[in-house]
This record gives sequence, structure tokens and C-alpha cells, in this order.
Amino acid sequence: MESNITYRHRDLVEKSKSGDRASQYKLYELYVDAMYNISMRMLGIKEDAEDVVQDSFVDAFKRLDSFRYESTFGSWLKRIVINKSINYAKLKQIPVTSLDQHSYHLKEIKEETVEKPRHMDINRIKKAITLLPNGYRQIISLYLIEGYDHVEISEVLDISVSTSKSQYHRAKRKLIELVNEL
Amino acid sequence: MMDEFEKYINENRAEFDQHKADRSKMWAAIESELDASKPKVIPLWRSRKWRIAAAVIAVFGLFAALTLINRPDSFSGEDQIVSKELLEIDMYYQNLVSAQVQLVQNHPQLSVEDKEEFLAFMDELDEEYEILKLEMSKNLDNERVLEAIVSNYKKRIELIENLLRQINESKKSNDEDVYIL
Repeated sequence: MESNITYRHRDLVEKSKSGDRASQYKLYELYVDAMYNISMRMLGIKEDAEDVVQDSFVDAFKRLDSFRYESTFGSWLKRIVINKSINYAKLKQIPVTSLDQHSYHLKEIKEETVEKPRHMDINRIKKAITLLPNGYRQIISLYLIEGYDHVEISEVLDISVSTSKSQYHRAKRKLIELVNEL
Repeated sequence: MMDEFEKYINENRAEFDQHKADRSKMWAAIESELDASKPKVIPLWRSRKWRIAAAVIAVFGLFAALTLINRPDSFSGEDQIVSKELLEIDMYYQNLVSAQVQLVQNHPQLSVEDKEEFLAFMDELDEEYEILKLEMSKNLDNERVLEAIVSNYKKRIELIENLLRQINESKKSNDEDVYIL
């Protein structure tokens, strides 16, 4: 079963490797919306996300020879999109981990004081996530929506695993605050 | 462990895919970028078997071109020079082809039957080629002989392509084995 999932769209991938434009387009069609949404969550700006996703597909098709079915094509592509989004944010000086200045007063808050959200309302949460500072939004998205663990996040963001954990917890606390304020 | 809040978000993560990409606009950009850089050529040369195939095909192509140039309706003196040149090139490329055949013979990923089948077919085509070359020098119906020579080349290329496909397939199944392990 597992290998069936890993080899998903294998036909399309193999044909795309040899440069077949129709197969490349089919792969694009299958994944473009998901990839666009990932990049939107990372960057928050339509034009930026479009640039990154275009660039990611071009890169993916050029580097397809190095894709060896160690993961699904989708997660391979997703990793490219996430890496490119993070790099793009860095280039544009959108703070990826803008958390240092927050950490001073956040440190004073004791761990036990983590509030519980008063509402379990997905629309409220969606709104609150868009209001988070970029760095917080990225780490929340990576962990809760993209399903990356702290090891993967540490690789993507080029931070240590413990930094990833502590920053995630700060981001979550901020998110709950916002949800309760809305 | 995820708490209730985290689980709730995680379970509803599909809700976050709210944006629709501008597909045609973005594809146009991707396609023009892919067209601008023709990257396919470069990686092929990294693999040894593709290098072999490319060399062999290039040799046949040159051969075909030279045979076409060497039409017997030119001056006999010139003809002699061309034939001499052709002979030298012929020898050179025959060595090269036999070296490639040797490589195929020594290829570790090929079964004995595959190799035999490939080499037998190659020999057959060699014989056919010799006969055609003879007819060419007899100045028989040139156009038809040329066509036959071209189809002879085509068969060789096809043969090599088949072989490469077999190598690739066996390689893929090896990869799968590794994956399952």
C-alpha cells in the first residue's frame, strides 16, 4: 500500500522526466492549487505566491531527474514550494523568525498561563492566522496545516529543533489570544 | 501530543485551501521558462549508457551523411579520394561501434539472453549493411539502395533504444526492491 502512494502519478512523473509537456501540464493541474495555497500561507501576498509557485514548478520539472520516489511527488514538490517561499520572504526581508523582540516579555509569561480558546470556530481561527506576524503565521502553518514536525521545520527555517518548539508555542499562544479577541 | 485546539485546526486544514490559482497565467509563465532553457540535453550525458547510445547514433548519422555525399556520379578521381577517406572513416567508426558492442556485452545489468539477442541482431544488420555497401559500389539503383541503408541505420537505432529501455526497466525494478526493503 505504502509504495502505491509513493508511486502516485508515476506515469505522469516519468513522462514529465523525459520532457513531455502534456504530462507536465497534468501534474501542474493536479498540484497547482495546493501549492499556491501553501505559498499564500507563507507569504500572504498573491503576486509573491504566484512567483514562487511558478518558479517552483519550473525548478521541479528541471530537477525531476533527481526525484527518486523517496516520497510522493506531492510532498517533494511541497518541500520545494516551502523552501522557495521561505527564501523569498528572507529576500524581501519579511522576517521569517521575527520573534526575538517578542521573546523578552513573552518569557515572563508562565507556561501554565496558556489560555484556552473560547471558541472552536474554524473561520475565526482562519481570520486570526492571517492577523499573526509573518514568522508566527509561518510556523503555525508548517506545523498545524502542512503537518511538518519540528525536525522538518528546523531544516526548512534553518533553526534548531528546540527553537522551533519554543517559537511554535509562542505563536500558538498569540494565535489563541487573537482568536479570543475576535 | 496535540491538544484539542491543535487537533481541531489540523482536522480542518482543508478549510485553509481557500485560494484559487490563476492557472493559465501561471502555466504560460512556467512554459515560457521551460522553453527558454532546454535543459534536457545536459543531464543525458551524465549517464554512461545514454552517452554510449548518443555516440552510436551520432556515428550512424555521420555514416549516413557520408554515404549520401559519396554518390558515384562524381568524377572518378574525386571519387577515389572520397572512397579512400570513407574507407578510413569507415574503419575508425567500425572500431568504435565494436567497442560499444563490447561495452554492451560487459554491461552488468543485462541478462545473457538479452545480450545475445542484441548482438545477433546487430550481426544480421552488419551483414545487410555489407551487402548494401557492395551494391552501392556496383552503382545499381542508387536511390533504393540508399533507402535500404537508411532503414538499416533505423533498425540499429531502434535496437539500441529497445536495449536502453530494458536497462531502464530492470533498473526501475531494482529501485523498487530497494524501496520495499
